[in-house]
Amino acid sequence: MALSRRRFLASAAAVSALGVFAPAVAQNKPLRIGILAPRSGIAAAPGLNGIRATQWAVDRYNARGGIGGRKVELVIEDESSPKDTIERFSKLVQQEKVDCVQGIISTGVGLALGPVVEEARALTIYWDGTTQDGVDEKIPNPRYLFRSTDNECEAVMSSLLAIKSWKGKFATVAGINPDYSYGRNNMAAFIAILKRFNIDHKVVTEQWPKVGTMDLTSHVAALKAVKPDLIFSSLLFADLPVFMKQAHAAGLTEGTKLVFPAAGWQHTLMKKEFTPEGMLFGHNTLYFANPEASPLAKEFVAWYETTYNDYPEWEADRAYFAVASYKEAVEKAMAAKGGNWPSQDDVIDALVGFSIESLGGKSGWRKDHIAEQTFVQGFTTHKNKYDFVTLGSFETRYATELQKPPGANFWEWIKTAEFNI
Amino acid sequence: MSAFANIFAGGVFHAAVLFLVAAGLQLVFGVQKIVNLACGSFYALGAYFGVTFIGYVHQFGVSEWLLLPALVFSGLLLGFIGPPIERLLRTVYDRDESFQLLLTFALVLMFQDVFKFIWGANPRSLDTGYLIYGTVSTGDFSIPVYNLLVIAAAIAVAVGLGTFLQRTNYGRILRATAENRAMAEALGVDVRHIYATVFTLGAVLGTTAGALVVPTAAASLDMAIEFVIEAFAVVVIGGLGSMRGALAGALIVGLIRALSIVLYPELEVLAIYLIVIAVLIFRPVGLFGRSLA
Repeated sequence: MALSRRRFLASAAAVSALGVFAPAVAQNKPLRIGILAPRSGIAAAPGLNGIRATQWAVDRYNARGGIGGRKVELVIEDESSPKDTIERFSKLVQQEKVDCVQGIISTGVGLALGPVVEEARALTIYWDGTTQDGVDEKIPNPRYLFRSTDNECEAVMSSLLAIKSWKGKFATVAGINPDYSYGRNNMAAFIAILKRFNIDHKVVTEQWPKVGTMDLTSHVAALKAVKPDLIFSSLLFADLPVFMKQAHAAGLTEGTKLVFPAAGWQHTLMKKEFTPEGMLFGHNTLYFANPEASPLAKEFVAWYETTYNDYPEWEADRAYFAVASYKEAVEKAMAAKGGNWPSQDDVIDALVGFSIESLGGKSGWRKDHIAEQTFVQGFTTHKNKYDFVTLGSFETRYATELQKPPGANFWEWIKTAEFNI
Repeated sequence: MSAFANIFAGGVFHAAVLFLVAAGLQLVFGVQKIVNLACGSFYALGAYFGVTFIGYVHQFGVSEWLLLPALVFSGLLLGFIGPPIERLLRTVYDRDESFQLLLTFALVLMFQDVFKFIWGANPRSLDTGYLIYGTVSTGDFSIPVYNLLVIAAAIAVAVGLGTFLQRTNYGRILRATAENRAMAEALGVDVRHIYATVFTLGAVLGTTAGALVVPTAAASLDMAIEFVIEAFAVVVIGGLGSMRGALAGALIVGLIRALSIVLYPELEVLAIYLIVIAVLIFRPVGLFGRSLA
C-alpha cells in the first residue's frame, strides 16, 4: 500500500501525541499490588482473612481515586512451600510488574523469601511470620523488606498478664504447644519471664503435638496425669478448638488456669460449650468486638459480618496495615516531590518512622523495618450474643512494651527489660 | 492408677479410629491387591459430610441423642462413591504397583480440592453433641461416653467383618478370590462384582470412621494425608492384607503413641516408627501377614 501524504501526516501527529502524553499515561496506569497468601492448607483461613481485608481497603481507596491518584489492582498468588512461593514472588515482580508485594504468613516461607526480596530489590511488606529459629535476627538490615511484629510479642504479653493476675496462685506449669519454632519459642519465653519475676514454678510436662493433630486425647490424658495449676498453650490452628473440646470432655479445664496467647486465630470456633470463662486469651492485633475500637475498625467488622457471616481475626489487621501504610507512604513521598510520582526508594524512606491507625489500633514501622502494633489480650466471658467466647476484661499494649528493640537478643532482653506488670 | 486409665483410654480411642480406616485398607489390598492411598480421603470425606449431614438433620428437629446413628448413616450413605472409583482403578489392576500408588495419590489430591470447593478452606466441626451422652467418671478417671461408643463400634466392626469373612458364603468367595483370582474366575465367580463390593466396603469403613470421629475433632483439608500415614504404620506392623493385623497394629500404634506422649513427648512419632522399622527388619510381612512368595 502506497503511503499518501495525508496518511503520513496523520501517523506523525499520532506518534507526536503519544510522545507528549506518555508521562501522564504512565502515571495513570493502575497501581499493581501483588499478594502472596495461603488459600489452602492449615493457614488458609487467616490467608483469606488477609485477602478480604486487603480487598476491602483497596475498594475503599479506588472509590476515592485510588492511591496517589492511581487506581489499585490486586494480583493474588498462593503462598505455599518456600520454593513455590519464591517462584510466584518472582512472577509477580518480573512478569506482573507489581509495584509492591504484600502477604506471607508462614515463618519458614518468610525466612526463605527474605534474601530473594533483597536480591530483587522489590518493596515487600509481610503480614506475619516473624518468628525466627532461636529468635535471632536472620534478615538484618533489610532495605526492601518490611516485616511484621515479632511473633513472641503475644507470649510476652500473656506472660505478663498471667503474672499480674495469678502470681502466687500457681506452682505447677504444663505446656502444650505446636512443634515448631513458634510454639517452642513461646513456651520458652513464658518460662523465661516467670524466672525474670522470680515466680516459683515447676514445669510438670511439655507436650509438642504436630501442627494439625486432630486426636489430642492422649495429650489431654498426659496433661491430666500431672494435674498442673496452669497450662500455657500457643496452639493456634484447627487443633486448638479440638484440644479445648477434648480437654473439656476430660475435665481438664475445670480449676486449671489457662494461658492461650494465640487463641484469637480460631476465635469463632472457641465455642462456649467447651471454652471456659476466665481463660487468658490473646487476640493479637485485632479484637473484633473491642468496644473501644475506632469507627474504621467497627465499619470493617460490620462489613465482614454482613459479607461473610463471620468475624475477622488478626490477619485482617496485618493485611490492612500493610496496604494502608503503603498508601500513606506513597502519598507522603508524593507530597514531598511536589505531586510527582515517587520512586520505590522514596516510598521505602517514607514508610519508616510514622504510625497510622490500623484496624487494631496504632501501628507503625521501626527503622529496622519491623512493625509495631497494638496487642489485645484478656479473660474470656460467655456473656455475649455469640456462640463463642469473647473477652470480658482485657488490656491493650503497644509493641514497644512487648518486643525486643532493634538489634537486641530476645533472651537477653527478657532478662533486663523494664516490663510493666 | 486413674492417670494410667486415662492414658490407656486415650490410646484405645485412637486405635479404634485407626482400625476402622486400616481395616478398609487391608480389605482392599487383601482382595484386590491395590494399595489404596485414597483411604485417608474417604476418612476425610466422611468427616466433612458428617458435619453437613448432622446440620441438615438438626434442621428437621431430629433429637441430638440420635447423633451416633445419624453419623453412622451418613458414613454408609457415602458408599455410593465406591463403585465409580473402583471402576477407575480397574485401569491399573494389572499394571505395576507404582501406577496404583500414583493413581490413588492423585485421588487424594483431587479429593482435597473437592473438599475445598464444597466446604471451603476452614476446618469444619460439630460445635455441640460430643458430650450429649455424658461422661463416665471415677475419681480422676473420666471418659466421654461418645468415645466408648466409638470404641464399641470399632469392636463391632472387627467382630462383624471377621464373622462375615469366615462364616458366610460370600466371605468365603471373597477369600477365595483373594487367594487365587484366576481360579475363582474359572469357577464362575464374578470377580468384577466382588471387587466393586469389596472396594465399596473399604470406602464405607473409611467414611464411617471419619463421620464417627468428627464430633471429637474437626474435618480439615490435611486430615486425609495425616491419617493415611499412620494407617500405613498400622498395616506394616499388622501385616498387609490381614484383618487381625489391622486390629493388632492399630492397638500397638494407639497405645505406644499414648504412652510415649506421657513418658517422652518428644518421641511420639519416633516411637511408632521404631516399631515399624523393627517389624520391617525382623518380620517384614508384619505380625499377622503372610509372605506373597
